[in-house]
Amino acid sequence: MPKNTHKSPGLSNRSIIQRLGGQNVVVFLIVVALLVFFSITSPNFRKYSTILSILDYSYYITLIAIGVTFPLITGGVDLSIGTGLICYSLVGGYLVVYQGWPVWAGMIVCVLSGAIIGLLNGILVGIMDLPPFLATLCTMMMTRGLGSIFSRGLGIPWPTAGTEGGWFRTIFKLNIEDLKLPLGFLWILLLVALMSYILNHTKTGRYVLAVGCNREATKLSGINIKTVYIKAYLISGIFAGLASIAYSAIFASVYPGTGAGFELEGIGGAIIGGVSMTGGVGSITGTLLGVFIICILKTGLPFIGLQANWQQIITGIVLITAVLIDLNRNKKKLKR
Amino acid sequence: MNKIKQNPLVKKIGFNRIVLCLVLLVMYGFFALFANNFVSYNRILSAMNYAYFLGFLALGVTFVIATGGIDFSIGPVMFCSAIMSGYLLTHYKWPLWICLIASIIIGMLYGTLNGYLVAYRNVPSFITSMAIMQISKGVASVFTKAQTVSWPQLAEENGWYRNFIKIKVGNTYFPVGFIILLVTAIICSIILNKTRAGRYFLCIGSNKEAVRLSGVNVKKWQMLAYIICGTMAGIAAIFFVAAYTTVQPGYGDQYNNEAIAGCVMGGTSMAGGLASISGTFIGVMIISILQEGILAIGLNKNYQLVITGLIVIVAVYMDVISRKRKV
Amino acid sequence: MGDLILTMKGINKTFPGVHALNDVDFDLHRGEVHALMGENGAGKSTLMKVLTGIYKKDSGTITYEGKVVEFNNPREAQEAGIVIVHQELNFLGHLTVAQNIFIGREYMKGKTIDDARMIEESTRLFQRMNINIDPTEKMNNLTVGKQQMCEIAKAISHDAKIIVFDEPTAALTETEVDELFEIIRELKKKDIGIIYITHRIDEIKVITDRVSVMRDGKYIGTLISKDSTKDDIISMMVGRVIYEEPKTESKVPKDAPVVLKVENLNAGRSVQNISFELHKGEILGFAGLMGSGRTETARAIFGADPKESGDIYVNGTKVEIKSPQDAVIHGIGYLSEDRKRYGIVVQRTVSENSTMACLENFMNGFFINKKKENKETEKYVRSLAIKTPNIDQLVVDLSGGNQQKVVLTKWLVKNCDILIFDEPTRGIDVGAKSDIYKLMNELVKEGKSIIMISSELPEILRMSDRIIVMCEGRKSGELSIEEATQEKIMHLATMGN
Repeated sequence: MPKNTHKSPGLSNRSIIQRLGGQNVVVFLIVVALLVFFSITSPNFRKYSTILSILDYSYYITLIAIGVTFPLITGGVDLSIGTGLICYSLVGGYLVVYQGWPVWAGMIVCVLSGAIIGLLNGILVGIMDLPPFLATLCTMMMTRGLGSIFSRGLGIPWPTAGTEGGWFRTIFKLNIEDLKLPLGFLWILLLVALMSYILNHTKTGRYVLAVGCNREATKLSGINIKTVYIKAYLISGIFAGLASIAYSAIFASVYPGTGAGFELEGIGGAIIGGVSMTGGVGSITGTLLGVFIICILKTGLPFIGLQANWQQIITGIVLITAVLIDLNRNKKKLKR
Repeated sequence: MNKIKQNPLVKKIGFNRIVLCLVLLVMYGFFALFANNFVSYNRILSAMNYAYFLGFLALGVTFVIATGGIDFSIGPVMFCSAIMSGYLLTHYKWPLWICLIASIIIGMLYGTLNGYLVAYRNVPSFITSMAIMQISKGVASVFTKAQTVSWPQLAEENGWYRNFIKIKVGNTYFPVGFIILLVTAIICSIILNKTRAGRYFLCIGSNKEAVRLSGVNVKKWQMLAYIICGTMAGIAAIFFVAAYTTVQPGYGDQYNNEAIAGCVMGGTSMAGGLASISGTFIGVMIISILQEGILAIGLNKNYQLVITGLIVIVAVYMDVISRKRKV
Repeated sequence: MGDLILTMKGINKTFPGVHALNDVDFDLHRGEVHALMGENGAGKSTLMKVLTGIYKKDSGTITYEGKVVEFNNPREAQEAGIVIVHQELNFLGHLTVAQNIFIGREYMKGKTIDDARMIEESTRLFQRMNINIDPTEKMNNLTVGKQQMCEIAKAISHDAKIIVFDEPTAALTETEVDELFEIIRELKKKDIGIIYITHRIDEIKVITDRVSVMRDGKYIGTLISKDSTKDDIISMMVGRVIYEEPKTESKVPKDAPVVLKVENLNAGRSVQNISFELHKGEILGFAGLMGSGRTETARAIFGADPKESGDIYVNGTKVEIKSPQDAVIHGIGYLSEDRKRYGIVVQRTVSENSTMACLENFMNGFFINKKKENKETEKYVRSLAIKTPNIDQLVVDLSGGNQQKVVLTKWLVKNCDILIFDEPTRGIDVGAKSDIYKLMNELVKEGKSIIMISSELPEILRMSDRIIVMCEGRKSGELSIEEATQEKIMHLATMGN
């Protein structure tokens, strides 16, 4: 009998990162390192207003990142989340601002629109078997157009804080007298906890992981993988809808034609946070941390003198680096 | 239906091409009926303005799709080339012809980066597309300090580049751009069908591993497809500014999808291995007429985006089905 | 041994061109380990696929637990209690052991998956089987042996009454094999019937009760394991009448130069310390069972897969082969066993495929010299008798034999002197087969040298001048054609070390 050239039986194949406590720990350390770096190099960074700024601009990205984690884990992708969130905001906002709908109804419309497009994506990928990036590229294009059509090409200013409908902004930014509280972060944490639970402890999440891990084996276990794909893209769509609310709450107005590029930050954040392009691996907390790295970079770079536009370049480079690392990780696994 | 397909004349011209031409004519007819003043030479020239830069983008990306990849950074790369070279012209006062060449070179550099990552590093092409999309937008913005760039008008000193689009002959215009695009398409077709590069592109898209196992350096040739694509984006930039003058950093995405739509409509398969330059050419014409027509009947551009998105979905779905049937 | 739990009688299954199962009988008792042996292509896997509903049989009956059954898909078979543990394990690597075992039928607490209960049940399961595995460990982190045990545990948790093992010990260490056998003994005690497909004759006496042999789709016979000898089994496996004349002596001169020398080639578990020489004008046969590492060795030599160590000499000079490009430059050509996936670009024409390895020789400046390409292609279409309406025919439309000829053309156009044929006549009808043999003989007469990997013993004996036998990644022996017999080759191919 041949001698086994492998390591000792049992728990033998852990990589360095796993030994360090997992990807999440590494990413968390990077977040801390970045915060420390920027705090040291720029005194202005250490102010409370900066933290608020980072958080405010992180909400919509975090939400789409949480949502897109699901399609990514199945081995697919959702590119429509960027232009999508703008579209849903324009649709809901148009109804509120120009048709007099109450703000809460507008918010529901936002989420519903996201759900509809998410469902469409799910059908395109899960039932019609279109390649995910193509299908969602098309819906990306379509939402860009639809949003513009709906808003008649105009920017939509959702009600500002202090006005009658403006209460929805306080969901994210609560101002009590002089104290500014980033309430949105609380909701994010709750959603992270909820989605983490769904991913790890419900059938939906479990089968999403299974399909991404080994589609054939999952099918052979009698699971209907079409439904799994549809659910994954539906979640992504719903979260894009939620993100559109967050976006509207933070920015004064929403303009058609924007949004392209947000999906990069969302997907990039997820990959940095440990979601693998090949599927089967991912955690919601990881995604949260990964998005933070991007947001801290976005906010911090101007403090050390780099213009805001560098952020786009940096995000692109960070995404490629994250994927290269991910590929390397998988290559090592395959060598076994 | 099959009888028509077997007809020798149909076979010679190509069933797909005939269908596409019919679609083009039907669409033109539709707009001629429902839009005001659609049937006029000026209208066609206006539509052609759109077709030129889109055509170069689409021709370039056809090569990438032929190898089985995708590139949707072409729009922003085109813009970045246009912005950077325009900035060199207006701010640094470089000679026009150098700026034009610079535009092409900038596109080529992006293509090289893209191709290197995909061919040598195995990064999925849609990831590199996304990343380069962002990077090119950022670079354009940083280079011009976020300002818009306006290229000179025809009458000005450096305006002669506009002749690439059309030349005034007496009272009318001669569509030079069309000739240039047509010639380029012919060259691309020759490259795809009669040169080693084209042969390798199609074979790599069809079965990359079999080609590798035949001793071919697939990495080199795969990267070349992306370099061509980037270069074409750089050329497209020139035609864009010749028609539309102003370029703003941060935009350009929508053209990606339309260029790809033109390819897919024209019969280029997203799976790779099957590509048609003539199909792409006609597909681009269809989109340009569509674009012009939608404006003419009073709807705004966004309807065209939605329609184009739907067209691509239908075209890709049909492609997926036809492949399933073959297997 | 309990009563009969399974009887398969008169099973027939035909695929286009091949009678895969020819009136096969097989039965199994409860608590019995019944081995199923045979060469590649003997029909063992096909029989099991018919049993578990992956294939539909053409005729015959399957009686299971006293009732006549017909399964339409693996899930039905599984629900009835018949489970296969495949050689290529198919599991969800990023999930834990417990999660894998209960995938698709999770215990729920309302909407929540009750992972704790699954862990509890798994632990109980492992205890019953006397296995030491942590159910909270991710499958990817376990060794192959432990992964396999999880598959077995999963089968048992499905209340399996029959478990089919397909080459279970191929990837295990000695210790792991012992552990597996312990578990099998436990399974026997529980009255579970076990069908044990293996090529390791040494295991028969250790763990099995009976052994049945199949050959060329037919059922040959059954022996009681403890009363059988290795020779008995081998002669049942190979005891066919060969209708073609085996080669009796090699015409290769004793002083023929060495065109290819491979020294200490290592590439993972499938290629362990392989060394051999290939002489000019020789056909070197590579025999062995599937999975013995011959294809992997060929690919490592050809640069298709990376190698860990080893030296390759072409015509006496040491060469660096890091990619197929290098190999082709040195005149080595490789005809893959999976023609459609690796040999030809199916959607291209005959002429395009023919020049794929040296297109640079057919250039006219920047353009492909179509005339030269056509001329060269036609030359080979004629000399190799490739049946195609014209050279612009898409290769996908040709028959298997003609596709193979196109692949060969590719290497001849490039003028490769060393050709590696991997299963050259697989999927090719009889008429085309002799064409290929004729071609191979002509090639070596012209001075080319051939390595022929084949799982068909008659083919090996008919064509080779020398034979190298591989078993589980190692070279287990070398025979000259004068001394080679089917039995000797099979002996070397089934050696456990």
